Amino acid sequence: MSDTFSLWGIVSAIGILTGLGVGFGALLGAVSERFKGDEHPLVDQIDALLPQTQCGQCGFPGCRPYAEAINEGDALNKCPPGGEATIHALADLLGREPEPLDGDAPSEAKVAFIREAECIGCTKCIQACPVDAIVGAAKQMHTVIEDECTGCDLCVDPCPVDCIDMLPRSTPLSQWQPIVSPAHSVIASDRIPATVHQQPGG
Amino acid sequence: MARLFDFPGGVYPPERKARSAQSPLRRAPLPAQVVLPLRQHSGRPATPCVSLGDNVHTGSLIAKRDGLISADVHATVSGTVSHVDGDTIVIGSDGQDTRQNLPPLDWRATDASVLLTRLDESGVVGLGGAGFPTHIKARVIERHAIDTLVINAAECEPYITADDLTLRCYPSEVLEGAQLIASLCGAQQIVIGIEDNKPEAIAALKRAISQSQPASVTLTIIPTRYPSGSERQLIKKLLNRTVPSQGLPADVGVLCHNPGTLLAALYAVRDGQPLIERIVTLSGEAIAQPGNYWVRLGTSIETLLEQLGLDNARLSCVIKGGPMMGTALETLNTPITKTTNCLIAATHEELPPVPMESPCIRCGACESVCPAQLLPQQLHWYARAQEDDKLERYHLFDCIECGACSYVCPSHIPLVGDYRESKSRLRHNKIEAAKAEHAKHRFEFRQARLAREEAEKQARRQARLAHNKPTDGNASNESNSAPPVDLRSLRIAQTAAKAAVRKAEKILARAAQQEPQQSHEDLETLLATAQENLKAADLQLAQARESAKAPTAEDTP
Repeated sequence: MSDTFSLWGIVSAIGILTGLGVGFGALLGAVSERFKGDEHPLVDQIDALLPQTQCGQCGFPGCRPYAEAINEGDALNKCPPGGEATIHALADLLGREPEPLDGDAPSEAKVAFIREAECIGCTKCIQACPVDAIVGAAKQMHTVIEDECTGCDLCVDPCPVDCIDMLPRSTPLSQWQPIVSPAHSVIASDRIPATVHQQPGG
Repeated sequence: MARLFDFPGGVYPPERKARSAQSPLRRAPLPAQVVLPLRQHSGRPATPCVSLGDNVHTGSLIAKRDGLISADVHATVSGTVSHVDGDTIVIGSDGQDTRQNLPPLDWRATDASVLLTRLDESGVVGLGGAGFPTHIKARVIERHAIDTLVINAAECEPYITADDLTLRCYPSEVLEGAQLIASLCGAQQIVIGIEDNKPEAIAALKRAISQSQPASVTLTIIPTRYPSGSERQLIKKLLNRTVPSQGLPADVGVLCHNPGTLLAALYAVRDGQPLIERIVTLSGEAIAQPGNYWVRLGTSIETLLEQLGLDNARLSCVIKGGPMMGTALETLNTPITKTTNCLIAATHEELPPVPMESPCIRCGACESVCPAQLLPQQLHWYARAQEDDKLERYHLFDCIECGACSYVCPSHIPLVGDYRESKSRLRHNKIEAAKAEHAKHRFEFRQARLAREEAEKQARRQARLAHNKPTDGNASNESNSAPPVDLRSLRIAQTAAKAAVRKAEKILARAAQQEPQQSHEDLETLLATAQENLKAADLQLAQARESAKAPTAEDTP
């Protein structure tokens, strides 16, 4: 009994626990300093959800700067190419409320196309392209590498002769997507009208 | 007979093979025109190497393979090329059928590399349905050790009898083709898996086996059950080896081939005949002369069926492939390709249209028949709700699309249709994600390049300044001391950039070693970005050192 409440016992217990705490604290501190990641992991995660068109419609020069801004607390709804899907994914990741998209979502994926007969070879679009998808040289015709183009629109404005069009992206046959039928009716009594609606022109 | 193992699940649909299996193998009439798609195989489409108006012979090369996973396409009739575009080549026949074959080879006396080249040049692909180029499958020895070649003669789908007839008519040729492939891939034994509903083929094989040399051949007769002809299920059944999820049979030392493919491989080597025709089962109640036919690739399905007495009044639909896994054709104006093994011209009574879909009642019938041991019901819910992460977690990509679940579903839910749709959506999302990642890397590379160019410009400007005003101490002092330079942080940045270059080099080297055939453009972009960053850091550091040196040199006197 007397052993349990002896001063020495209490002091040694406190001393050992404090020592352990300090020791492990120092160890954890040293390890976190030693293996510190140089990148911000959350910014990487946000960046991975953005569509990487690098179009600048959010008001930032590229997707990564916008990801950094979102991490600092900027709004989630500034990315039209990503659309609602990106806003929801970001809201899920950050635990924030999704907001309606600020701007119009593009209806389909597009790529830039230079009408080569009209191109004067000014290189302005080449300088504007964020992903180096335009080839050409001064006073030579330019052209867009379709596979590399993200459809960001940034080359359209600088063109002095308006020879750049945004055309729908061509899809190779191997990436063809089946046409998804509309959602099936759940209740049995809904079925007959549902089949009537599915008829063309009905 | 070897011991049999078992795979889970499976169904017993009506076989309906008698109609086409009873008549002998015949030759379909030579078509007046063939339409040859450039993509009759898995992988990239071939590139045309003929132009409009060219005269070709039967067996002439008309399209060259593009990339590794692709296959050559040959003319299947002699005549004139009447149309070429990015998808198809059309040849009008002159009716002569003059041949242009490659020189015959004796495979036992020929070098393996010559044989592989021959398979490559002959456009032989898997004739069972997937159309995977055979020369790549034969090259598997470079990456995997193969001990067993399985001849997949199970042919478990109803109606189809093409492999049955192939084995009945050409048993020794098929075995010879198997010996050829076995010697190429280093397999010591050949195992034939055949369902017990093909007694004539089994008898023919038994007669032929004794003469087959040098690999030992085992004939294993398995009970008829769908889908025992699926590669994974057959390997489990014959050898009790489980092919890993997302893996290949080669991972467990097995190579699987269809009898038709082996026959085509033998013809390509022994006779020098490229893949220009195949055996197709033509069956169904709406056809007057059902049976198996040698059909030239590119023959129009419509013409072929009409030549064999198609009863248009009774026809309800034409199915390409078997009734379980095949697809109903929207139009008959489409050609026979390398992967068309069966055409069913069905009447309304024979294959009645599927009744209206009802809601899932969670009866679990689909789970008990799934040969891949998946949970079709869960996958159904997730597919309808587009919960992509859950679909992957429930191994959607292990689904072999055999259709057993749809077959037993009491609510007539087109389960396989849902899975196919979801698979295609998931693949599409992956391609889009890879594209976004690629665009990001290109953007980063551009940023790095601009930074390096800026640093170079700065360095040149400074050099010019130093050169122009070597005596004007005050001015240079002013311009140099204006930006406070932090040598230490620049040195750290340079070291980090060096480390990044080394890391990128290492990743690229490892990837190039592991997958030498793949393109590593993206990793190369990453390496280039790291190199640009290093150059910029070097320049900045050199510049800072210069400017740090200059003032001290002037301060001391």
